[in-house]
Parts: sequence; C-alpha cells; structure tokens
Amino acid sequence: MNINLLNPLTHLALWMMALQFNLRPSLKKQMKSHDGWTNFSIGLRTASGSVKQAIVFLNGRVTVLNDIPGNADAIMHFVDDSVLKEVVKITPNEMLNLVLKNKIILYGNMGYLQAFNYYTSLLMGGIHQRMLNRAKKQDKNSRKKEFDLNKLQLSTELFERKTYRMKGKKEDPGVKHLNDPYLPQYGLEDFPRIKKLHEKHFAAISEISSERPVLLTEWYRKNGFEQDQVGKPWVPELRQAHAFKYLMENKKAVIRPDTLLAGTCTPEEEGVLIYPDTTGTMIWGELNSIEKRILCPSRITKKTAAELHDIFPFWAKRTTREWIREKYHYPLCQKIDERAVASFNFKIVSMSHTVPDLPRFVQEGTNQILDEIQERMKHIDGKATDKINTLHAMTICLAGLNTYAANLADQAGKLAETEKNPKRKAELEKLREICRHVPAKPARTLDEAVNSAWICWIGLLMENNNVSLSPGRLDQLFQPFFESDLKKITGEQEKKEYIENAIELISCFFMANAEHYNLVPDVANYLFGGSQSETAITVGGVTPDGKDAVNDMTYIFLKVTEMLSLNDPNMNARFKLGVNSDTYLKRLCEVNFITVATPSMHCDDTVIESFRQNADKMEDLRDWAATGCVEITLSGKHMSHTGATSINMVAGLEMAMNNGYHPLMDWHMGPKTGCPEKGDFETFEDFFTAFAAQQKFIIENTTRLNNMAGEAYAYLRPTPLLSTAIRGAIDNALDVTKGGAHYNTSGSFNIGLSDVVDSLMVIKKLVYDEKKITFTDLKKAIDTDFDHDPALHSMVMKKVPRFGSGSDEAVEMANRVTSLIHDSYKSIKNFRGGDYTVGFWSVAQHVAYGSLSGALPSGRKAYKPFAPGATPHPSASNSFLDNMRDVARLNPRNMDNNIAFNVKLVPSAKDTREKTVDTMYSYVKSYFEQGGMQIQFNMVNSTVLKDAMANPEKYRNLLVRISGYNAYFVHLNREMQLELIERTEYGL
Amino acid sequence: MSKNPLILEIKGNSLDDGPGIRSVVFFKGCPLSCIWCHNPESKKAIVEISFDSNECVGCNTCLKTCPDNALSRENPFFIDRTRCNLCFACVTDCPSGAMEKVGREMTISVLVEKVLKDKPFFDTSQGGVTFSGGEPTLYMLFLAEAAKVLKEKGVHVLIETCGQFRYETFMDLVYPYVDLIYFDIKIMDSRIHKKYCGLSNETILENFKRLYRKFQEGGVEILPRTPLIPDITDTNENLSAIISLFREENVNKTQLMPYHPLWQDKNQKIGIKPPSNSGNKMGEWMEGDRVKICKKLYTDAGILME
Repeated sequence: MNINLLNPLTHLALWMMALQFNLRPSLKKQMKSHDGWTNFSIGLRTASGSVKQAIVFLNGRVTVLNDIPGNADAIMHFVDDSVLKEVVKITPNEMLNLVLKNKIILYGNMGYLQAFNYYTSLLMGGIHQRMLNRAKKQDKNSRKKEFDLNKLQLSTELFERKTYRMKGKKEDPGVKHLNDPYLPQYGLEDFPRIKKLHEKHFAAISEISSERPVLLTEWYRKNGFEQDQVGKPWVPELRQAHAFKYLMENKKAVIRPDTLLAGTCTPEEEGVLIYPDTTGTMIWGELNSIEKRILCPSRITKKTAAELHDIFPFWAKRTTREWIREKYHYPLCQKIDERAVASFNFKIVSMSHTVPDLPRFVQEGTNQILDEIQERMKHIDGKATDKINTLHAMTICLAGLNTYAANLADQAGKLAETEKNPKRKAELEKLREICRHVPAKPARTLDEAVNSAWICWIGLLMENNNVSLSPGRLDQLFQPFFESDLKKITGEQEKKEYIENAIELISCFFMANAEHYNLVPDVANYLFGGSQSETAITVGGVTPDGKDAVNDMTYIFLKVTEMLSLNDPNMNARFKLGVNSDTYLKRLCEVNFITVATPSMHCDDTVIESFRQNADKMEDLRDWAATGCVEITLSGKHMSHTGATSINMVAGLEMAMNNGYHPLMDWHMGPKTGCPEKGDFETFEDFFTAFAAQQKFIIENTTRLNNMAGEAYAYLRPTPLLSTAIRGAIDNALDVTKGGAHYNTSGSFNIGLSDVVDSLMVIKKLVYDEKKITFTDLKKAIDTDFDHDPALHSMVMKKVPRFGSGSDEAVEMANRVTSLIHDSYKSIKNFRGGDYTVGFWSVAQHVAYGSLSGALPSGRKAYKPFAPGATPHPSASNSFLDNMRDVARLNPRNMDNNIAFNVKLVPSAKDTREKTVDTMYSYVKSYFEQGGMQIQFNMVNSTVLKDAMANPEKYRNLLVRISGYNAYFVHLNREMQLELIERTEYGL
Repeated sequence: MSKNPLILEIKGNSLDDGPGIRSVVFFKGCPLSCIWCHNPESKKAIVEISFDSNECVGCNTCLKTCPDNALSRENPFFIDRTRCNLCFACVTDCPSGAMEKVGREMTISVLVEKVLKDKPFFDTSQGGVTFSGGEPTLYMLFLAEAAKVLKEKGVHVLIETCGQFRYETFMDLVYPYVDLIYFDIKIMDSRIHKKYCGLSNETILENFKRLYRKFQEGGVEILPRTPLIPDITDTNENLSAIISLFREENVNKTQLMPYHPLWQDKNQKIGIKPPSNSGNKMGEWMEGDRVKICKKLYTDAGILME
C-alpha cells in the first residue's frame, strides 16, 4: 500500500464508523448512558507521521478529524505503518499482543480506549467472532499435532495418586483428637455433597456479575461521588461507607444448595467480581467478545453487558489510573508503567494484598467492635472531625455487614419453610440461627466460626478487590472451636461424625471461595495467565509465644487441600525448625505430591529473620501469614500491600548496556551511564555502577507511581471496613489506606534475578577477569541474538559459573544484586509513611517480561522467558542440590517480601509413595536447615504437560505452580505452558 | 600407581546408589573389562580425551589449536588418538564443552570437601557417599583414607565393588570405615567370566564368600548384585548357579540391575568401537517380562529383592 494512501484510508475507515453511529439508531443509543452522552475523542497516528486522524464522540454525534486535537482523551500510536495495516486484519487478542509488544503504544485514558474498542466491536463483532473461532480451532489442532502423545495412561497416573494414602503418627502436641492426623480413611468420595459441588465447579464456566458495580453506581449516581447532593465535597471514608452499606443491604442473600455456609459473593454461581474504580472498565471493550475469547472465557448475559456499558462512563475518569493521570498531569512514571516493560504497578489494580484480623470478627463479633469504636469516638476532641468521620464510617460498614447477615438469616428461614428433605431443612434452620448470631456476636461453635469468617470475608470482598486478600492462619482461628465442640462430645461415633462435619465445613469454605473469580481482561491472560484471586491460607508454624502451632485443624485443612486440589485458596505452610514435627513436614510433601503443586512451604526461621527489619515485636513476627502468592504479612495488624509493584530487573541491565536506552521500548528514558562499545567501562565496577543507576531509576519511578496510587486510594476508595480489621486504625482513627494500621509497608517483587546475575557473571568473568572476549564483541553478539556467533553463545552458556551451580562467586553476585535492589527500595517511603519490602518472585511475569526483553550476556535468547522468581536458570547445574544450596545462601535481609523457588520434580514410577515423600522431605528439611526461605514443587513431568496441551479436556484440574501461585495448566497461555515444560526437571 | 587416583566425577543427588540421597564418587580404572560396562570411560586408569558431537557448535577453534594435527571432521571419532598427545589445549579453548578431559587427579581433602557439601541432605535422608567406578579398591590407600575421614565426619560410606581385590589389604585398610558393600556377582562360570570380563572369577567369588561370612558374624552388611545382561548373565544357567551359591552361603537378599543401552553413546565419545558381539538385544532396554522371570527365579528360591 502506498504510504500516501494510508492516511486517507484510515480517515475513510473512521468516517464509515462515524456514519454508522450517526445514522443507525441502535448504535446511536449506545453512546448514551444514565449520565447522558458519553463524550470522548481518540487519536490515531503512526510514528512516521504518515497518519494522523481522530474520531470524536460528542453529544451523540461522531466526527472524524484530519488531525489530533490537543485535548484528545487517548491516542493510539503505531510504531510503524505496517502495524496499522495489520490491525485491520487481526482479532482483538492479537491486537492486545501488539500493544504488549509495544508495537502499538497507548497514551491517555484507558477507559475511553476501551469504549472505542467496544464501539468497534459493535461493528466488527461478527467478523472478529468468526476470526476467533477459526483461531481457536487452529490452536486446538496445532496442539494436537504438536503435542499429542496418544498415551492414555498419562492422565490417569496423576489422578490415581489420590487413591493411595499414607498413614501418619500422632506426634504433634497440638493434635488433640485426630488419631491419625493424615486422615487416610477419607477421600472426596466419602463426602457426596462436596463431590457434587466440586464436579459442578469444574464443569462450570465463570460468569461476569454486575450486582456489585451496579448497586454501588446506583448509590453514587444518586448521592454523588466528589460532592454530595447539596454540592458539599464528600468525606471519602463516609462516601465509601454509605455506598458499602447500600450494597450490603441490597445485595441478594443467597444460600446455595448443598453447602453448609450462608452467603455468596455474587448471585451468579461462578461469578466474576467487578471493581469499576480500579480495573472494571478494562473489559468494556470485551463485553461482546469475552464469552468467545481463546483464553479463560467468561459468560456474560446481554443484560449484564448492557448494565456495565451503562455504568462504565460514570467510572471512565474515576479510576486509580485516570485519577493519577489527571492530578499529576500524566507523569513520566505512569508513561513508563503503561508500557509494561520495565515495571508494572499493581496498586492501580488492587491494594488489598493483606491479612485482615478475621479472628477478631469471629471471636469478638462486630457488635463488640462497634462498641469499641463508639468508646474511641467519645475520647476524640469534637474538632477532630476527620477522626470522627473515619470512625463513623467504620460503624456504618459494620452495620451494613450485620444487615447482610440478617438478610441471610431470613433467606435461610424462607428456604427452610419450603424444604422437603428433613435433613436439609434442619441444616437450613441451623443456618438461620447461625446468621442471627454471627458475625454480630462471638461465635460459639465451629459451625458459627466458619460461617462468621465467611460472611465477614464476603463483606471484605465487597469493599476490597478480590486480588490477594488473604484470610491467613485459619487453622489457628478454628482450632479452639474444634476443641471446645469436641469437649461436649463423648461417644466415638459422634466424635467421628463431628470430625467428618468439620472436613465438610472447611471444604464448603474452599468451594465457596473458589466460586468467586477476579476479573481477567484478556491482556491479563497474556501477562499473568491463570492467576486467580490468590486467597492465601496459611497453616502450621508457631504461635505468637513460639510454641508448636500445628493442630487438628492444620491437618483438616491439608486433607481438604488434598481432596479438592483447587488453584484457590492458595495454600501456604509454615515450618519451624526444631519445633514442628517431621510427621507434619512429610504430610506437606505428600499433599504436594498428590495435588501436584500445593502447598508452598516456608521456613519460619528464615522468614522471621528476613522480616525483623520491619517489626520489633517477636510475637507479631511469629504471627506472620502468607499473602497473595508467598508474601509476608503480620496477621491482622499490618497494611502490607505486598504486591504493590514489580520491576523487570533485566530492563535495567539492558539500559546499562545501552546508555539508558531501552531497545524494545525504543526510548531513551534512563540516565546516560555510558556505552560498552565506546569503552566507557574500564572495570567491572564501572559497569556495575551503571547497572545500579538504571535499577535505581526504575525503582524511583515505580515507587513514585505507587505512592501516587496510594494517594488515589485515599481519595477514591478508602476502606473503612478493612480498617476495622487491621489493628491500629481504630486507635489512630485513621483509615488503613492513609496509614492507620500498626505496620505499614508496600511490597515489591523483582523479576529476572538469575538472568541478571548470570549475565553480570559473564561480563565480569569473560570480559574483565579472564579477558577472553571484549565487551564490544559481546554487545554485538547480544544485539544480533547470538545468531552469528554460536561459539560465543556456547562460551557464555558453559564457561561461566552460574547462580545455582554451587559457585561462591555467583552466590556473592546474587547477594550483591539483591542487596542493591533492597537498599534502593529502602531509601524510599511509601504514601503511608512505611517502608518498601523486597521480594524475588514473579507471578507469571518472568514469561511476560521475558517476551519484552532482548538477548542477554547470559546467553538467554531474545524474548525467551526468564527463570521464575529466585529459581536458578535450568542450565546452572545437573544437581538439584546445588540449586537448593545456592538459593539457601541468598541473604534473607534482602528478601523481606519473600522469594519463590520453583522446582519441577519427577517422581519415579517404581518408587513407593513413602520413598517419594521421604526424599521430598529430605530436600525440604535440608534446604531449610541451610537457610532456605521458601520452596514449591511441581510434581509432574513434561510428557504429562505436553499431553495436557494436546488434550486439555482430560486435565481440567491439573494444578501447576507458576511463581508463587497455583493455576490450572489448561488455563495458561501457550508461552507459559511451554515455559513450564522447559523448566529443568529433576528425577526423584 | 600415583598416590592420588583419577576421579571421573562426583555425582550429587543420586537416589539409586544406596539408601537415601547420596554423592557417588566415580573412580577411573578397573581390573575387569566387562564388555557391557555402563561407564566405559572409567575402564582405563589413565587420563583420556572425549569428544561429544552433540555439544559441538562447529566453530573449529580446536582444529586451529591442536599442535598435533590430531583432529579431523573426516574422522568419525573426530580425534585421532594415535596422534593426540593429551595436551588438552583443545579442551581449554573449546567454548562449548564438547572436548573434555576425562579423569582428573584429586586430593583427599578436595574429594572430602566436595562430598561434605551435601552432608545436610545425607543427614535428613540417611544417605551418604558411595564409592563406585571404575573400581574403587584399585586405590586402596586413598579409598581407606577418604572413607575414614568421611566416616569420622558422620557420613555413611558405601562401596560398590566388582570384587577383584586383595582380601587382606581390603580388610586391613578399608573395611573398618565401610557401612555397606554392594558386591557384583556377574558370571559363575569362570571361563565365561574371563571371556566377557577379562579375568576369571575365583578371587571374586572367594572374596564374596569371606565377606559374606564376616557379615553373618556381625560384620559390615554386604549386598550381592547382578547386572542382567541379555544372553550373558541373564541365562537360566548362570542365574541358577548364582542362586546355588546364595543358598550355600545363606544369602537371603540381592539386587538385579536390568540392562539398558544408554551407555553405548559413551563409547563413541572416547573413541571405542562398539563391542563386536553386541547383538540386537544390547541395543534395547530389557523387557519388563524378562526381568520379572529372572526375579521370579530368586523369589522362588526364597531370596528377596532389594
């Protein structure tokens, strides 16, 4: 196509779109919501300047301009003309990939860009649908062709693991009532109601739920967001509290058949929760296509789509992202972040990576908390209106929660009246009584405790994003109820039935939790595929006074984990050396083996050692719980937002080799620190200085944005209910988004550790120490992806000791890098006045960031995944022990937001269960004894994973560990699946 | 014989060479020369050079480096070992690790240090060190000293031996520091033994009987093991003869090691032609049914499988 023609052709295409919207009433209608006409403008331009067009939606009229007005809401920038031509021919998900690959750069309001996508889908939807169907079919066929091994026994082996069950010893002092803590007498088939829920869950597909955003928007539209009905600025805490109360009062009270828990997050059976002030509008463009997309589709009814399309205009400028853009005039840190190459901020998405004080809700009840708040208010000077308002907001939220429980009681009563089955009728009547009692009053039985926890959990999720909000140490919470219930029981048969009921209750909790989904815009499928809510539950470890915390409920949670093999809740187990038993650690290993991927195991000693710098009280440190993926939160008194921000450490390395320029982003954004080709780095130290400067630049920017996002939450979405559940906020009469909690930190996770360390080792050894190659030659090879220099490629791969090979020097380099990253963050405070914590885990971003990074001195080829988390590169060593030893030697001081060490272990078919478990146990125990912090296994071999790529229907619940979280393998994007297959495999 | 023997490699994290997690020390050099030897590079007690065509990136650096003109792409083994003076210049310069030096001298302290780094894993798994080879008893003094130091450090010591050694020396030097012995009984007929293993078997069988009697008197545990080599050791005749020996000596436990062909590539690397009498069966994994039949001969005789 002639370049001169591209501009008029683009104009023509937009003009045709405008014509349709101007003429067709059905389309015109789409431009209007309850707030009136949706007005915005989008510019399209190419980097060469060959194309410059804009489309303007104003008061129900659409016009096309031959220029981009200065006040355009958003701009789509195409890096070259061919990309713009391509866009016409591709599906929406392929377009997303062009955005991710930085071929299309989006500037400005993301909501309106999504609105524009939505309008486009109204015209192109049918065509896209056919293209998607075709792509789907092609994908399926190519998987069959490439990966199908046609071995029937592969899938059955995994599922047969559940049929053999090891016996355990009664050894742990906290285990009072389970004769065999491994509970080998039970399998899922012994709990028909749970089996039914489980089957239903795996057969179902999630459905977008509009209840939450619609009710909230209703309230805001009526009562105002920035100002109230009389034009007075809202106190954000009060606004949020009233809206929350309205939501809880009007939310449908649902009790599902078969469950022992009252309440659901959504009226839909498998509902996707929408939070329009953070990420909700990101699916605006997908409302017509989400059902048909290739990865993790969701159902959506026409009604829901119409409701969301009606409310999204209200939110287009009221999101965390747009609030920052407006207030800080589209700052540099946001521009860097939105390219998603060097860093990615998660606070914009969610702030709720923390562990609330559920025990307080359950043990004391909301009424007592209300009393305490009232008491606190009495002692506040009447002029301190901010404090009074904050506390008042908390009381409104608690009242809302109580109303919801009362509605559930009524619903249970109603259902009981018409229930024919006497057993179920009795259960419903019991639920009615439970909901009349909790969460307002203290729970008295395990039934009440689990229901109270679940109702509060729903409340917290109605306020806070269902992203990584974690209930923490539930075995500790429930054990006293379990014990006191059993004290009242004497007969053996009754005792047995009670324990079975406890297993069912916890299973119901797991299933209820698995039935809410977080919103996954298609872009997130490619960035963080398969990631769910990351509801981290933590078991084991020690009590705040240092005693063995493993108890009956610990083993009941492990049994349920084994039976259900769900990706969420994300199970984490603590192990304290010298206190927790081998019986317990072996059970963790066995469950990991049976479920293939869970729980993740943590060494208490190392975790506490790492976190001491953030807390002085040992009893608080001992009460830590995993959050989201693996991160450390001090339960119930710590606003930890552990997943605040991530950086791609490889981007800093690339910028250090290019004088601050990032090749893929084509942007000279970093400080000018020198060029290797010009001989600017006389010594390795000179280069390391440049590397440090680039890392600091990225860290400064991502934390700057994170602090702006913190400020955005304080205004857009303070969280008064969560504030009642984190110690400090009531005392300080300050919302947790503003620093009310006792401990305030923000967590970072830093990606590409092994790739960076190995690359620095290559530069240090080959260029400077041994002088075998010049930096110029190395740089030339990197810039051409080693295509012309296979000898150099194999030299960097083979002749330099890597992290994970047992080399002291490589470990020293790793600690130098983690120390640099740690110290850089620690020099910065977050919005709430707290410190940043530093982690080395990667969610799934080692794949995404990898796909956005060029070749490296380590020999990693361009666009390939990085090694996940703190895991050594597959080529580091043939011995898994070397890997473990080196990871154990990482300095815990630099990793106070934890690490993820992923290991793929392949059990030998000829070994007994006992031998397999004994070997796993030895690995974990020795790794911990040497200072290891965290470890997670994937107990599956590549052959099975390939079979699952070809035959996903046979592996619907094949669980895998990514880097910190679990996912169903079949939900992952292709690159992530291949990354898992290519991970080093150690025989067992 | 030099004081410090040649070590092929120390392999960590082994789960198949004794109880628990183990580090296996492979000595280089063996008095026998079994034609099926799965570690052909361990047979000779001298340093060798190997070439791995799978690793080679074809940069031809070595061709320029070699002072003896011993390398050629025309040569199926790549290295002309009649010309090579083992200067290893090519190994130093090879960027890919395709050229490798096979066997290196190691002092006791280096060996001990390398083994001890995995001690935390031995401790939690009741594992330890396994001396294998080659034949570890070829280096009695060194073996004794290494075993002694490691045993004193609390490491469980296992020796895998072909049984061809001087009994008295073994008992004096090594035996006190050993926790477990894996002893190969390959072929009962001495003539056939000599044909396939290079030496007759009298010393081996004598050593076995004496050690087994010691074990029964409360000495070090010893486990006889037999590699199942198709048509050589797995014949009914040979297995029956082994079982008779076991009956005579009251042996109630053994281990059979089914044949696998994975070793054959190793020959090529060190310049050995495949054995002339390796029939079809030598190229394949032993069938599960055949292994079952062999095992049944033992279990029928009341001998357990480890």
